[in-house]
Amino acid sequence: MDTKTLIAEAKARFNHNSAKAYLKDKYDSKFIVADQNGLWRANPETINFLNSLVEEWVILIDTFDNPVKVKRVDLLYKLTDTYKNTMEEWYNEWAELEKKR
Amino acid sequence: MSRGILLFAFNSPKYNYYDMAVATAKRVNHFLDLPVTLVTDSESLPVRQTYEFDNILLAPADKTNKRDWGLWFNKGRYRAYALSPYDETILLDTDYMVNSNKLLKTFDLQTDFCCHDTTSFIMYPNAEQEPLSARSFNTLWATVIMFKKTKRAEQIFNCLEMVQKNFEHYSNIHGFISSTFRNDYGLTLATRIVNGHTYPKEDIIPWNLLHVGNKTIVYKNNNDEFNTEYTVMFDNWARGKIRKEYIVIKDTDFHVILKDNFMELISE
Repeated sequence: MDTKTLIAEAKARFNHNSAKAYLKDKYDSKFIVADQNGLWRANPETINFLNSLVEEWVILIDTFDNPVKVKRVDLLYKLTDTYKNTMEEWYNEWAELEKKR
Repeated sequence: MSRGILLFAFNSPKYNYYDMAVATAKRVNHFLDLPVTLVTDSESLPVRQTYEFDNILLAPADKTNKRDWGLWFNKGRYRAYALSPYDETILLDTDYMVNSNKLLKTFDLQTDFCCHDTTSFIMYPNAEQEPLSARSFNTLWATVIMFKKTKRAEQIFNCLEMVQKNFEHYSNIHGFISSTFRNDYGLTLATRIVNGHTYPKEDIIPWNLLHVGNKTIVYKNNNDEFNTEYTVMFDNWARGKIRKEYIVIKDTDFHVILKDNFMELISE
């Protein structure tokens, strides 16, 4: 029995809340970036902070609470790239999910 | 610098862990492009082997453990450090379904040892984390452990051996039931002891371990050997009735708690 038939026979209901929580779990991990001896989360706060500075080297607290000296532009580029790509994937999968409403 | 995956598989009267290990190893090769070493015993090895592991290490199974569904040969996981032929190893449970290359990220973490401390249950988003007991720590999970060949990692595995051998003593201290040895509990205590009863963030994999729990069944959405899309069906009890609910997941690693379900997923 294929899964579509199985769902129909069981009169199963698509659970949006669980699907949403699952997507958050799935994509949360994709924002994690290991770079320049630190572990980072590609989030708007970190990206904006890096963007607001002008120095070549800056010291940041990574997700392990360690101060790490990083080359600002390199980290900014990596985090921005990761953020954009991950959000794009997340959005596309979310849009697919919304069609099930 | 060598990297690889280590699996332990000792068949019990009820479950064929060797078959599970073969299925997991194939997925590891496909998604992670890493070699797999199997630790097993001669009784679990089939006469005709259809899959070639990087190494097969024979070690006697400790057959003194049991749980609600029968005998469970999960002891001796502390041997992983001594047995692993790799500089950097991921020790995986055989019922971990690899569907992506996510585990490779653990090698990039600035640590020599890490495992999960939080779980998410698919279809059960708000489930609480499991403590050793009401008056003890939240458990760490031995399902996925990344370790490097360092003195500290060796000490953690040595300590795991000590905890396993004195499990009843620790159960008295922490207030959990000792009749079934759990590597999760042993690991929780061992890492605490080695880290001076502190809880370093570096030892934690920075994402949740995804579980498929009870009352939840996973179905493959197609029969491709390396299928990554599944329908997860859940029996939701509400107002005295069971309501079937489902979601579809793809490209996501998960750990299947119900072994029968895992066996169905790996069957062709």
